[in-house]
Amino acid sequence: MRLRDMIVMSLSNLWKRKIRTLLTVTGVVIGTCAIVVMISLGLGMQKTMQDSLAQMGDLTIISIYSYGNVTAEPLDDEMLETFRQLKYVQAVTPSYTPENWGSFTIKSGKYEFSGQITGVNFDALRLMGYEMEEGQMPDSTTGYTDMVVFGSRAGFDFYNPKKGWTNSDTPNVDVMNDKLELVINKTEETSKKAPTHKLTATGVMVEDWSRNPSPYGVFMDVNYLRSLEQEYKKLNGIKEDKEKVFSYNNVYVKVDDMKHVAEVEEQIKAHGFETSSMETIRKPLEDQARQQQMIFGGLGAISLLVAALGITNTMIMSIYERTREIGVMKVLGCVVGDIRAMFLMEAGGIGLLGGIIGVGVSYGISFLINSLGSGGGGDTGSIWGPGGMSIGGLSIIPWWLVLGALIFATLIGLISGFSPANRAVKISALTAIKQE
Amino acid sequence: MSLISVKDIRKVYRVDKEKVVALNRINLEIDAGEICCILGTSGSGKSTLLNIMAGLEKPSRGAVMIGKVDIVKLNEKQLAQFRQKNIGFIFQSYNLMPTMTAVENVAMPLMFKGVLKRIRVREAKRMLKAVGLGSRMLHKPTQMSGGQQQRVGIARAFVAHPKIVFADEPTGNLDSKTTREVMEMIVGIAREHKETLILVTHDRDIARYADRIVHLVDGNIVSDEPNQSIMASTEAAPPQPAASEIEQNVDMTADRLA
Repeated sequence: MRLRDMIVMSLSNLWKRKIRTLLTVTGVVIGTCAIVVMISLGLGMQKTMQDSLAQMGDLTIISIYSYGNVTAEPLDDEMLETFRQLKYVQAVTPSYTPENWGSFTIKSGKYEFSGQITGVNFDALRLMGYEMEEGQMPDSTTGYTDMVVFGSRAGFDFYNPKKGWTNSDTPNVDVMNDKLELVINKTEETSKKAPTHKLTATGVMVEDWSRNPSPYGVFMDVNYLRSLEQEYKKLNGIKEDKEKVFSYNNVYVKVDDMKHVAEVEEQIKAHGFETSSMETIRKPLEDQARQQQMIFGGLGAISLLVAALGITNTMIMSIYERTREIGVMKVLGCVVGDIRAMFLMEAGGIGLLGGIIGVGVSYGISFLINSLGSGGGGDTGSIWGPGGMSIGGLSIIPWWLVLGALIFATLIGLISGFSPANRAVKISALTAIKQE
Repeated sequence: MSLISVKDIRKVYRVDKEKVVALNRINLEIDAGEICCILGTSGSGKSTLLNIMAGLEKPSRGAVMIGKVDIVKLNEKQLAQFRQKNIGFIFQSYNLMPTMTAVENVAMPLMFKGVLKRIRVREAKRMLKAVGLGSRMLHKPTQMSGGQQQRVGIARAFVAHPKIVFADEPTGNLDSKTTREVMEMIVGIAREHKETLILVTHDRDIARYADRIVHLVDGNIVSDEPNQSIMASTEAAPPQPAASEIEQNVDMTADRLA
């Protein structure tokens, strides 16, 4: 028999028993919908969760701390280079603050800045995606010496020491254009004049508190800052402790992708450092989401199992009704393989049809959930935490879910039809035609 | 050599613990083109013999040679293919597909053979015209009388030009006038196409249409003789195809099945 004839016969057999086919298909539709909608809700949750985490901070940044751990190796430039060589690591920057508070003052006219100065690696910061409100970060063309970048509140951080703090709506200093001068402070009043450096502000960062290090205070190249610190120590006669090994207390590592964070973090921990990343928050949340997804998927699978029983039942009924027809077909020379193929096509056809309609209905349900969820503006809008955290949809149907659902539904049909098809094949031609 | 040769066929049914002998050492040779009637009362074993000759049932013992092939030894798939090519069937209860039109019913054996739709529909229409149903091609079985349904059955049996057509009480459900029409049609087409027809009946009036009558009683052949009435009326045996031609065709089948 030709394949085309077999398909036509199978379809016409389904068509002849419209009501029964429709009911059986409906079973598959419900099963498919259950699975697709449940999984799509799970995916939506996962996405909402990730979006929420992304708002809390960059998921690909690992913070490293050296304090409080005696077994740790020194977190020095050599160690930073080791981290840079790790697979998946894109950038490494220390976040260095001088040991002595108030070592430096930045002056601009009558205003002074004595807030936090942080030493960083600007190239790393650029890779970590810091955005500039104005200007740019220093790079190898501008050089790093005497270069400084301000946090978003830069102009407001300057104050007039004679007047004390005043609140004003306009910044006191235009850091990009006003003259800036760094003063290395003296601890004691001496006749020696305090050394100064002329500073150039190359840019101002955008305010973004989710970033680490946060764009706050003043940023300088870490090596420049450390050289300034040496100058300060020399000026004030502070002796270096020979026993003490230099170690940054805080370093940030940027990993290329979220999925590699855990692996890189593990390697860093092996050197004895304390680390933290969004991974420690993300992981349990993701596990929880996966668990929920599995429960949802399981519920869907149960409904599809019921649908599979429906298909088997329909096919067995159909075979009882058609015993005589099958017998006649055999007598007239229909090869048993063709009979089996036709029955499998019928069962698979029910599955595929149910799958197609099911996916279509799922899209409708998904659309309804999403429009109700985001349009309602109520608690449905967010699953994680209170109030409007959700960004993406609540129900997401990716293409692989559609394809998977269609294949799965067809497969369910074929499996359900397998035993009835074999039963049809075993029908004796003789007893079938004797039946009156 | 004969087209069909039944050799030492024995068929025993087991009913509970009792053995029932349906056929007891049957030997029968049927030539190509012959119209042979197997006559017997119910329980004589005539239907069992037909089923065994058509490969629908396996004998307890013995061989059924059709051409050079022993169909007792074929498996189910080979038998199906053998039937596609060589055998046509006419049933007492017509056995038409209730949901199909007359044309679709007649074209069915050709569909199983894998003949293209365009060609098989053309053949089926030609056959339906030959049985006088040219105006009822798109009717379903329920829209036709018994005689018309059986004519569809006849068209279906002959459409693939089989070498042998089996007819099991083909007029059992028909009135006497229709019976005459149907029998004349079956015999007429078989002679026209030079096909072998094996007719199974309990009715002596039906047996009149055959060239030869094999009388079966309790699983034994009690008489096997030419039909006197035909011999008397036509004086000559019907024309028969050259034996070599038939053998060649059967050989081809044998090769295909091997």
